[in-house]
Amino acid sequence: MKQQHILTYFISSAFLLLFCVSVNAQNDSIPNTVNDSVKIKQKYGLRVGADIGKLIRTAVDDEYSGFEIIGDYRLKKKLYLAGEIGVEEKNNATDYLDITTKGSYFKGGIDYNAYQNWLDMDNMIYFGFRVGASSFSHTLNSFTVYNTNQYWGGQLSSDTPQEFNGLTAIWAELILGLKAELFTNLYMGLNVQLKVLASETEPGNFQNIYIPGFNKTYDSSRIGVGYSYTISYRIPLYKKDK
Amino acid sequence: MKYFKYLFLPIMVLVIGITASCERDDICPESTSTTPSLIIDAFDIDNQEDVKNVFDLVVAGIGNNSVLPGYAITRTANLILPLKTTEDTTQYVLINEATINDNGTPDDTTDDFYDGNQDIITISYTREEVFVSRACGYKTIFKDVEVVVETDSDNWIQLIQPVNNPQSVEDETATHFNLFH
Repeated sequence: MKQQHILTYFISSAFLLLFCVSVNAQNDSIPNTVNDSVKIKQKYGLRVGADIGKLIRTAVDDEYSGFEIIGDYRLKKKLYLAGEIGVEEKNNATDYLDITTKGSYFKGGIDYNAYQNWLDMDNMIYFGFRVGASSFSHTLNSFTVYNTNQYWGGQLSSDTPQEFNGLTAIWAELILGLKAELFTNLYMGLNVQLKVLASETEPGNFQNIYIPGFNKTYDSSRIGVGYSYTISYRIPLYKKDK
Repeated sequence: MKYFKYLFLPIMVLVIGITASCERDDICPESTSTTPSLIIDAFDIDNQEDVKNVFDLVVAGIGNNSVLPGYAITRTANLILPLKTTEDTTQYVLINEATINDNGTPDDTTDDFYDGNQDIITISYTREEVFVSRACGYKTIFKDVEVVVETDSDNWIQLIQPVNNPQSVEDETATHFNLFH
């Protein structure tokens, strides 16, 4: 029984192979005809929007407030000029430190759409590259000296705010994200960002523990991470054939 | 390609998960050098190269009701004294050859005190707050540290000398003062 099955399978496969070959052969004999009766036009324009993730976080998180405006301009079929501008205020409090960081930032670069759209759809799975710059300040609201030996009880603490002003940072950023057209010209997107700090102003006797736009810094590396949920609207300027 | 929109949810969950799990790494590691204590080594006054143990030593801070942990009748040649970060002086009483006096009530330990040769040392310094890290915050380091033994009729401490001049206490890697007795 089993052998017979295998035999049937083999024969049918052989038939299939035969068809493949014959189809290919047929294709060669048909003259190439152009039947693109429908020409698909794609919209080009300026897309502006906001990071709604930051707005939600502002409402939910007491220690955070921030706002970011995003924009991109379609240069080519797959290439966009893109940028973000934003402001952030973040409070970081531990048992020993209470710091408020305030500042604004700007990011500029390109997005490359790696997604092949069907027909006239206009969605994106994209890779982006940015250069970011931030200008910010820290306020050390209070601190308590760290001492592993608690024989004398309470350690020195200060409630006099200290300012660290005029700080700047520059970083590079890689982005992986999605943008989907939910309604005509209205897009929703999300992305994750990987950042590498290029330079920063080191405050005296202090450390940049947070940089607006770059987010939290890490002691062990120059890497930063971020994410955005965006909503944006495209102002169509002109159309071009796909 | 309507599935495109459904990609949002899993990625959103992933992103939230990553940020939530990576947020807190704010624990000060024990290996980090934070506020240092003063380190004093005890030597023999007659043979100044020789380390000499102090027998039945009791160390207590003046103004502190409890004995410094680890120094309740002990034999050692190495004293590690925490300094006050809130004031520019710290005083300790060092009792040599201490014994517990039960105050005539052997069953009641609350009124016990130490007998022995008491010497009072006064440590004076200037303080400076130095930033360590986001987890550890600031530490205090001590500069221009001076140790003075209060003169009484029967000092067991003959001499306390700084290792360097001026002496600062910035870490706990080396001895700061030498005590001769």
